[in-house]
Amino acid sequence: MIQIDNIRFYYPNSKVILNNVSLHFTTGNIYGLFGKNGEGKSTLMKIMTGLLFPKAGYCRILNENTFKRSVKCLQDVFIVPEEFELPGVKISTYERVNSTFYPEFSKDQFYKLIKEFKLSIDQKISTLSFGQKKKVLIAFGIATNTRLLLMDEPTNGLDIPSKSQFRKIMASSVDQGKCIVISTHQVRDLHSLINHVVILDNSNVTFDQPLSTISEYLWFGKPNQDDRASIIYSETSYGGKAVLMRKDHDETEVDLELLFNAVISQPDQINAILKNMYHDERV
Amino acid sequence: MKEYNIRRIGNFIYRDVILLRGTITTALSVVSVLLFIVILFSLRKDHVVVPGEFMSVFNKLYIISGVLFIFSVLKETNTKASNHLYLTLPVSSYERITAIWFTTGILYTIVFSFLCFLVGQFAISVGSIFSETNFHPLPIFSEDYWQLIKFYFFIQPIFLYGAIRFNKNRMGKTLLSLLLIVLGLIFFNMMLYGMLNYGYDVFSGEELASEAFGLASKDFSGIEKVLFVGVFMSTMLLATYFKIVEKEV
Repeated sequence: MIQIDNIRFYYPNSKVILNNVSLHFTTGNIYGLFGKNGEGKSTLMKIMTGLLFPKAGYCRILNENTFKRSVKCLQDVFIVPEEFELPGVKISTYERVNSTFYPEFSKDQFYKLIKEFKLSIDQKISTLSFGQKKKVLIAFGIATNTRLLLMDEPTNGLDIPSKSQFRKIMASSVDQGKCIVISTHQVRDLHSLINHVVILDNSNVTFDQPLSTISEYLWFGKPNQDDRASIIYSETSYGGKAVLMRKDHDETEVDLELLFNAVISQPDQINAILKNMYHDERV
Repeated sequence: MKEYNIRRIGNFIYRDVILLRGTITTALSVVSVLLFIVILFSLRKDHVVVPGEFMSVFNKLYIISGVLFIFSVLKETNTKASNHLYLTLPVSSYERITAIWFTTGILYTIVFSFLCFLVGQFAISVGSIFSETNFHPLPIFSEDYWQLIKFYFFIQPIFLYGAIRFNKNRMGKTLLSLLLIVLGLIFFNMMLYGMLNYGYDVFSGEELASEAFGLASKDFSGIEKVLFVGVFMSTMLLATYFKIVEKEV
């Protein structure tokens, strides 16, 4: 779906934001793109949509370079940016003037989602709060039915009930033909939604694994005395929760926040464990 | 996949007009009221609107509104909060430049001229009811009108370029650049004129030399003028196109 190869990017008079980043996103998945503030999550998303041009390397959607911003490419991608401004028109007008550019746009789906978000199509966008505007854009993005849907901090500005509503809507929106990439630094918001984790750190991809592999080889929880040897990372502030090699333990739900902290502090160790275990199992 | 689709251009023009309809309505209302008042005032003197009177107000309103309209249409390109969605809209750069040029040039001229004609005619009708004015058609399509249209289409690409090129203080920077270009051209022409005619002592201040200077400024053949305007407009439009292609957020 989208192939990123050895991308290097920096803003003028600034340090390198992305250095030799290579990633491959495939359809049928919801990717969680995590990283600390300023690690290049938004920059990567902008490169993926052709809004920024890489200094080296390339980014292709269905074999089209994104920086060319060709119609074919843009019809297959929609981005929900972190900060945005929508025109002060009715929701129905916004849909009418913008939907014509997306061949797979579903008006019914859009109106259904607007209703689900407790909004009315006759409401003027200028009268809505930031969170409500975000809901309009999320609904529009889903209804475009582009194969690639990128969301940059989509839960920012959403209240607590809206966050769970967002997760529910996103989960029902994904199908085998779509690829969704959600960037956030609030990892808890994507709990039980994503099925692949990508973590950016130090201008590079530190971690890139499907959730199934993570839960197969890593164990999250409070360790016993016998488990001390296999602890990879532990946090005293979370009641002694730790990440350890799963071995004979029962499978646990992946604690994204704990995983993120573990990867940031022990990236090589975690990657080596997953790689070796996967390799050993294959052999 | 076609990168140039007339239907998409139409949809893009429609989008621009609909999203800016509030601004357009307000601007046109202000223009209508101003024009109506000015025409009524001009009727008080001799009960007739002559082309010169109409054009003296029309040209100012037309150029100022046109420039403001260009910057309004391209506002989305440079506004940090809206350019993400604008630039990722599935419309090619060829289609964008065509739509923007058409909207701010042809569509704007037709709508603005038609509105001014209606307002002017309405003012004459009102004048004929309340004064000794005889009802007469508004003399809009004079030679000055066509000259003005040509001038607008000449400067339009410059403002299109400026509206995309500059991120902040776009209008001021464009006007400043335009002034510098004009000053540079004047200086270049003067220098060239002086160098080529140095032997004739053209800068002596004598009457004959001044007359020669005046004649030289008129000695600009029609073909060269067309070529200069054509090349300049095309270059500026091409530069605008490349600015759209290279635009990053």
